[in-house]
Amino acid sequence: MPATPSPPDPAGYSGPERRIGHRPNPRVRRKRRSSATGRSELGLTSMIDVIFQLLIYFVVTANFMIGEGVLDAALPAGPPEPVLPEDALAPLFIDLEPDGSVGVLIRVDETQPVTGFADLHAYLWESLDDPEAKPGLGLFPPHTPVIIRPAGRVRWQHVVDAFNAVVRARYTNVSFARPDAL
Amino acid sequence: MAVRSSSYTTERGPVAPSLNITPLIDVVFLIIIFFMLVSNLVGEEALPMVLPDLQDPATAELVDDNRVVVNLAPEAESERVPSADDAHLRAPGYADVLSVGPRRFAPRNVEDVQAYLQATVDARPDAPVLLRADGALYYEAVSPVLDAMARAGVSDVKLVAYLPEDQR
Repeated sequence: MPATPSPPDPAGYSGPERRIGHRPNPRVRRKRRSSATGRSELGLTSMIDVIFQLLIYFVVTANFMIGEGVLDAALPAGPPEPVLPEDALAPLFIDLEPDGSVGVLIRVDETQPVTGFADLHAYLWESLDDPEAKPGLGLFPPHTPVIIRPAGRVRWQHVVDAFNAVVRARYTNVSFARPDAL
Repeated sequence: MAVRSSSYTTERGPVAPSLNITPLIDVVFLIIIFFMLVSNLVGEEALPMVLPDLQDPATAELVDDNRVVVNLAPEAESERVPSADDAHLRAPGYADVLSVGPRRFAPRNVEDVQAYLQATVDARPDAPVLLRADGALYYEAVSPVLDAMARAGVSDVKLVAYLPEDQR
């Protein structure tokens, strides 16, 4: 009696293997094992490494103007208002000139030389006439116009240092002269 | 009698413990995007220079982010650092870089700076204007910029210098 061909097995087993019941097709076996585990994993380690390197780079290179501060310097916004002669105070001049190197020579009120910005501040503080700020009488009230007159070749460092000394001494009306005013 | 831990055992059997790092990656990505944006914005404002390093400074930290920064600096060089003997002031006294916010100008082109500042101040009247000038510059290099700021109607100028040592 001739053998009738068996129909193809949907699971992939072919003739003899199906009859014997073992030695399945390797492709099918692999498929079954992965479906039994049921999880596919993505290797994230290298991505996290790169992300952290990018993070460190941007943290290090970001510049937030750290350590910088500001000094308020109000500029005249319009034409100067006329001042009545009886209200006008004689301005206090601070002259700055280069010393030939990177230093600076300082004179107050065109006569009084001072040796540094600490001395300039001490002189201005001693001269301040402000009972609310310090006891005793001084020569200049806080709203006395203080005009800083730097020569053109004075470094900006020294100009701001002079401005800082005046502001610390609590004078409120401080201005800069143009470099050709000296 | 065996005690089953519900954390590490399912009906199918024990499972390997795993760490859920998805929120970590989310946060790190956000931080990266933040630093990318901020470093671009701030880098345009804070050009490298050596600012005035004052004796007993009365400088205050500026917390307002709404500001206009004017930069004036000699050629950028990374070697100079503030020193007690003022050696950092031995640098060219004239500016090579002049910028207002992200916009660069020719160093002596104060007319364009004035026009640009005027437009900026009109658009943002409440924004303080910061003058970041290198401490080694001559006053005659900075003074025209101060004049341009005054002519542009800028009244609230802030001179930028280093903070006191204990606040840096």
